[in-house]
Amino acid sequence: MRAAIFWCAAAGLGCSLACGGGQTRFNLFSTDWEDDRGASIERVWQRVRSSPIPAAADVVLGVAGNTDKIIGLPLGGGSPWKFAHPLDARPVVAGMVVVASGGGEAFALDAASGSILWRRPTGGLPLLGAGDDGAVTVVTFRRTGGAGSTMLAVTHDGQVVRQIETDRPLGAPAVLGRMAFVPWASQYVSAIDLANGDETARVTLREETSRAWVEGGSLWFGQAAYVRFDEHIRGASTGAASVVTIPHRELPGTPRPMRPGSEPVPPIANAEDRARIYARPAATETGAGLCDGRWYATYFRLAMGFDEKAHLAWSHLHGSDFVGGAAVPGGVILCDDQGKAIALDEKTGGTLAELDLGEPVKACVVNADSYRATGTPKDAKPLPLQLADAVRAEDAQLASAQKMLLRELAALDDESVTKTLVEIVNDPRTTPEMAAASRVALATRRNGASYLEAALERHYDYMKDVLIAPPVAPIAQALGAMKDRRGAPLLAAHLLDPADSDDDVKQAAAALAVVAGPGELPALRQFFGMYRASAANDDVADAVVSVGRALIAVEPKTGRAVVDAAANDPTTVPRAREGLHALLDGGKP
Amino acid sequence: MMGPRRIALPFAVAALVGSTTANAQPRPRSAPDPAGQQVRLPPDAVKRLKSRDPAQIQSALDDVRTSARAGAPTVPAIVDLLRDGLSPALTIAALETLGDVQSAAASETVAWYTRDRNVETRRAAVGSLSKTGGPAAAKALRAALSDGDAGVRGLAAISLGNLKAKDAVGDLFVALDHKVPEAAAAIGMLCAGNECDRLASKLGSVPIDVVTSGLEQVLFRPPDDVSDDLKVKVVGRVRQLGTGEAHRFLQDLQTRWPKAGSQRVKQAIDQAVLATSASPASTEPQP
Repeated sequence: MRAAIFWCAAAGLGCSLACGGGQTRFNLFSTDWEDDRGASIERVWQRVRSSPIPAAADVVLGVAGNTDKIIGLPLGGGSPWKFAHPLDARPVVAGMVVVASGGGEAFALDAASGSILWRRPTGGLPLLGAGDDGAVTVVTFRRTGGAGSTMLAVTHDGQVVRQIETDRPLGAPAVLGRMAFVPWASQYVSAIDLANGDETARVTLREETSRAWVEGGSLWFGQAAYVRFDEHIRGASTGAASVVTIPHRELPGTPRPMRPGSEPVPPIANAEDRARIYARPAATETGAGLCDGRWYATYFRLAMGFDEKAHLAWSHLHGSDFVGGAAVPGGVILCDDQGKAIALDEKTGGTLAELDLGEPVKACVVNADSYRATGTPKDAKPLPLQLADAVRAEDAQLASAQKMLLRELAALDDESVTKTLVEIVNDPRTTPEMAAASRVALATRRNGASYLEAALERHYDYMKDVLIAPPVAPIAQALGAMKDRRGAPLLAAHLLDPADSDDDVKQAAAALAVVAGPGELPALRQFFGMYRASAANDDVADAVVSVGRALIAVEPKTGRAVVDAAANDPTTVPRAREGLHALLDGGKP
Repeated sequence: MMGPRRIALPFAVAALVGSTTANAQPRPRSAPDPAGQQVRLPPDAVKRLKSRDPAQIQSALDDVRTSARAGAPTVPAIVDLLRDGLSPALTIAALETLGDVQSAAASETVAWYTRDRNVETRRAAVGSLSKTGGPAAAKALRAALSDGDAGVRGLAAISLGNLKAKDAVGDLFVALDHKVPEAAAAIGMLCAGNECDRLASKLGSVPIDVVTSGLEQVLFRPPDDVSDDLKVKVVGRVRQLGTGEAHRFLQDLQTRWPKAGSQRVKQAIDQAVLATSASPASTEPQP
């Protein structure tokens, strides 16, 4: 392993990445390093622990035009700015600086105004990440061809104070107290003293790590998890650091909270930007936690909020696809491909604020440090209604999310869920897969009987253009389980409706065995007479047996005589005969 | 006397059922004596119907059908069989038998089977109701216009016409608008005044052969049922259409108009034939 360091500033040279001279050998990023059990990183912690961490910019960046324009919009108000420049990677916000690359150079802008701070030729190396401490910006690039990286430290006046080239895959760095924290090889973070280029410390992390950044007054390392740089960092190699992770749960598109910092992020948003997890780590008394106890996920135009146990708290259906965002105290800021950004309330998913970049964007970056989403959320609905909106949205690309949300919906006790499920099944636009899942969910409902009864009022009617029968089978299962006698006449009517499926009839009969009363006797007798000798399949034969059970339950003496006669009549279909015998014998057919 | 083409049952039933039950098992079928003479009901018919033996029941049903109305004494036994339950084949045979016996007393039980899960059974029940009449018949047939099966819907429409169910004209117009072509003939059998005119006004929006199947019924109805004024108006509607199909329909009407029929209407038909003779494609296409 070798690393080349160029110390340019001391010589007053305006050096570029292509320049030479002054090269020294150093054992940077070597893998023959022995774990010092946190001793060196503890020294660095002691050195920088009191260094102030200035707040970073609160800004939304849009990549617009033909990926040749950056639009900046301060979150806290202020005029938007635009900066025209070709881009070959997604811009990043570091401190109060926007860093980007393209057109053969890297450049830094003032995040508040968009004015250029510095630019350096790169020979076309794409940007990986950047950190900034208010005086020096440290930027990492991936070397052309993919093997190795370059790190550049540039002062805000454009002086290159350090340039390091390495065969190692570096990640996105952070800067604190004139010390660059550079993740590499997915497991190390090296602390490099920008004054002399020495690697003064290294920490081995047990979590996959390719990013370092400052946020909320703390320095963080991570990729799949968030590791706080605090007094526990010396125990990182033994798993004793302050770490917070996103709890695992099923999510459409299997999103990640962060992309690997060792790979350039394309300037145009792709599928990974549309299925993302957003979370904000926060310092806690015990080390690290999730800000507000919340984390968020997006899937195309759907946003979801979760608690620390990964329970769904809300969902928000938006007008167009989300392509970027950031979790902030009080909620999440998300921006869409139309250049609109919204702040959603962490508790309800209601809209707290809306911003407009002024034009559609190819990608979006949100950086929020001191910004807090506050106010009274508008359009906040109860979770069952939010889920109903999401599940019923006519949007084929949401299909995976809708399946997941349907399960969430079905698990809620609210009566309106029953209504929603009936509507989904009755809607001819519902996909067969969703309809089937909704029917399964409907059968498990134990409230909302009035909605189920209302659904049963409907029958197939060619002349009235009612061409879909209601979901009788699952409704019957639910009403039977609820012992809802008000549904009995409606079920009896469906028992005799030839437009209903065989399963509908079977389940209606099974429910009637529980809920039928004297008012249903005519229909029960009619069905029993019509099908005991003509049932065309097992479902209808089973229905005959259930109706036999109902007849006995409603009028024990007469009913038993009718069932007995049918059970002993050879013209009764065999399956029904067998079931009726079992019924008479006291068993459950 | 000549008259409208036979749309009425049993022709239509046979045609419709035959067109949709190609896979059905052939079953023995007796029919009333074509000469219209009643065959005496065998004395053991009721006994066989109550035997619970499918073969004896089938043979008894055959005998009852042959006896037509003379089979009336067996109706309660057949109704009991249907209420107690029969195999699909015997159910259909029993329904057809009750139709042949034309017993209104059976209509309520026959109406049950217009809601059977087996479409052949439903068709048989609907066809039977057109002959039994009775209090439950019209209600069941109107409901059957909404059946999921086109054959059942068409049969129900024709049956309502045969039953003279004038209250059903509104439903039949809805059925016609829902592409139940048989409803046109049924409307033609039942309509009065404005209703007949409303049927004629469908010319141009509903296929002409469908509308004329109903108008033909109107034109051949007796003068005390449909006035000459209305018939002349209907002929005028067809004449206004002025198409080759209209011409051919009028020409066919001209050849079949009864000698004893209204001369005023005949004159209207003759004039309409002349007036439409120059219409495009007014001659019968060569086969």
